[in-house]
Amino acid sequence: MKKIATLLACAAFALPVAAWAQDAAGTTKKDSYRFVIVPKVVHPWFDKVNEGAQQAATALKAQTGASVEVIYSAPQTADVVQQNQIIDSALATQPDGLAIDLLDPSGNQASLEEAQSQNVPLVLFDSVPPEGMQITHIGSDFCEQAKIASRRLVEILNGEGEVAIMMGVPTAPNHSIRAECHRQVFAEHPGIKVVAEGIDNDSIEIAQQQAAAIMQANPNLKGWVASDAAGPIGIGQAIVEAGKQDQVTLVGLDNLPEMIEMIRNGVADSSSASQPELQGYWSVMMLWAQATGAPVPGYVDTGNAFLTKDNIGD
Amino acid sequence: MKTEPLSILVRNPLAGVFVALTVIFALSALLSPYFLTPYNLSVIARGLAFVGLITIAQSMLMVLGELDLSLGVIGGLCGVISGILMVKLGIEPYSAMLLAVLLGACLGLFNGLLVTTLRLHSLVLTIGTAGIFGGANLVLTRGVAITGIPKEVQFLGRGDVLGVPVPFLIMLAALAVATFVMVKTPFGRYMYAIGNNQAGARMLGIRVDRIRLLVFVAAGAIAGLAGVLMVARLGTAQPSIGDTWVLAPIAASVIGGVATTGGVGSPIGAIFGAGIIAVIENIIVLFGVSPYWQGIVSGAIVVLAISFDAISRRYLRRENG
Repeated sequence: MKKIATLLACAAFALPVAAWAQDAAGTTKKDSYRFVIVPKVVHPWFDKVNEGAQQAATALKAQTGASVEVIYSAPQTADVVQQNQIIDSALATQPDGLAIDLLDPSGNQASLEEAQSQNVPLVLFDSVPPEGMQITHIGSDFCEQAKIASRRLVEILNGEGEVAIMMGVPTAPNHSIRAECHRQVFAEHPGIKVVAEGIDNDSIEIAQQQAAAIMQANPNLKGWVASDAAGPIGIGQAIVEAGKQDQVTLVGLDNLPEMIEMIRNGVADSSSASQPELQGYWSVMMLWAQATGAPVPGYVDTGNAFLTKDNIGD
Repeated sequence: MKTEPLSILVRNPLAGVFVALTVIFALSALLSPYFLTPYNLSVIARGLAFVGLITIAQSMLMVLGELDLSLGVIGGLCGVISGILMVKLGIEPYSAMLLAVLLGACLGLFNGLLVTTLRLHSLVLTIGTAGIFGGANLVLTRGVAITGIPKEVQFLGRGDVLGVPVPFLIMLAALAVATFVMVKTPFGRYMYAIGNNQAGARMLGIRVDRIRLLVFVAAGAIAGLAGVLMVARLGTAQPSIGDTWVLAPIAASVIGGVATTGGVGSPIGAIFGAGIIAVIENIIVLFGVSPYWQGIVSGAIVVLAISFDAISRRYLRRENG
């Protein structure tokens, strides 16, 4: 009788433990996953994000045997309305997760709330969540990235001279944070004067036009920093066209092939680069973790790299 | 004379675009299990509502033989102004929206006055005024969105009535009014007469400039309405609102049978055209088409839709003798 009672007691204890083990975090398993990546716009920087995301899908497939599909769906223009339309349409396909680079957190909020109401796992990369929303976000410290570049420019100019800042899309938080942090660094050095700020809307062509006009209007301009990946490429083109490689110093941003090439041939001194491949890779990993029911961190820092002629190789 | 339904079809100028829309709709439903879900249909309807309003405005002008490239920018500026009125100046939200729509009418009046009094080409003029209105938008916002739009008006952009998005219902109401005016009133008949032959309309005693002016005003007001509804949808007044509302409404109108030379077409046909574009944009995402292929795919479907329309009409006409 005692034995039966002991067995029953063990069973009574084991059942909830077994039930708990069934629901343990990160144990939900599926044979296939489909994740959607929505960047700000069709752009080479986001192609690198997509490369990282596809690598993560391949890694997950190899490790788990599950089929992992990553669909890359980009707006043709950097327009929050178009981006929301893509997010909403992607939600209709009931994906296992959605990774988004927000064009404007407040403008994207309605679509994000819709995703949360449908229990679709979310990750933001290269951007921060709207105020009051808890969403895992991945990226580097935008401010630090900008400060690395502006401090380098100050150092090259020995703390003196006229400089200009190229803003990206003024409504994009990561771009505006970088622009503001450039200003903060320059404000710490009384010999540095910010004589102009341009808006390139993440377009190389516009950056080139703006930079050419600003250099025309400010013949004593000594240096440039940028707040987005397209900006320094356009600025570099404008510097070459104006024949000012020896007079104007460019410290760039990010690691697009054109940027690397400009460092290599001396048009740009260096670049402070975020790591888009890592952002794509960890976006997929975080989405997968959420889909399995695992808890995820609020923020994943993918860090910045400082690229110079010495470390970019041939 | 062949069968009666065929005859009705061939006589109806909307038949071709309607059939094209139906075919695209049916194929999408067959190929994607997500297409006909209520959520996806509401996504399409909500997206169509905003471009649809601009399309109604543009098609009215196109019937007159005019083109207004500033309508999208007017929508954006009115959206931003409504945000400033509500958030920065503390004006009661619905009054602020109404004032912004009135501003849209005033901007339309500005365009209309320049076109009619200085005899300027509307296409060329509105390239310039789009720059002015877009520049004013940037001066007012410095590119930064105005946040804090009151929740009470967000229903107009985000809400549903019996599952139908509110902005879509508003667009349908605007379409009904525009269609009634153009089909059932002398004013509408004068619009077609002007679009067909402006000099002839003048000789008939039609007050051509007055009608052109009023249509520009109405188009501006509708664009302003689209802008403030988008502010209600986003919950912020984005300076970029309207940036993509330039070419799509013109393309939609042409797909829907509105002639760029004037005198032919209707806002209903234009909305069918806008519907084709909205469905294409949706299925591109549903099918996971690469962003680098999207332009080719959507362009090819539009070309196919127009060709299908033209071929089916020619075939039906031949069948009917």
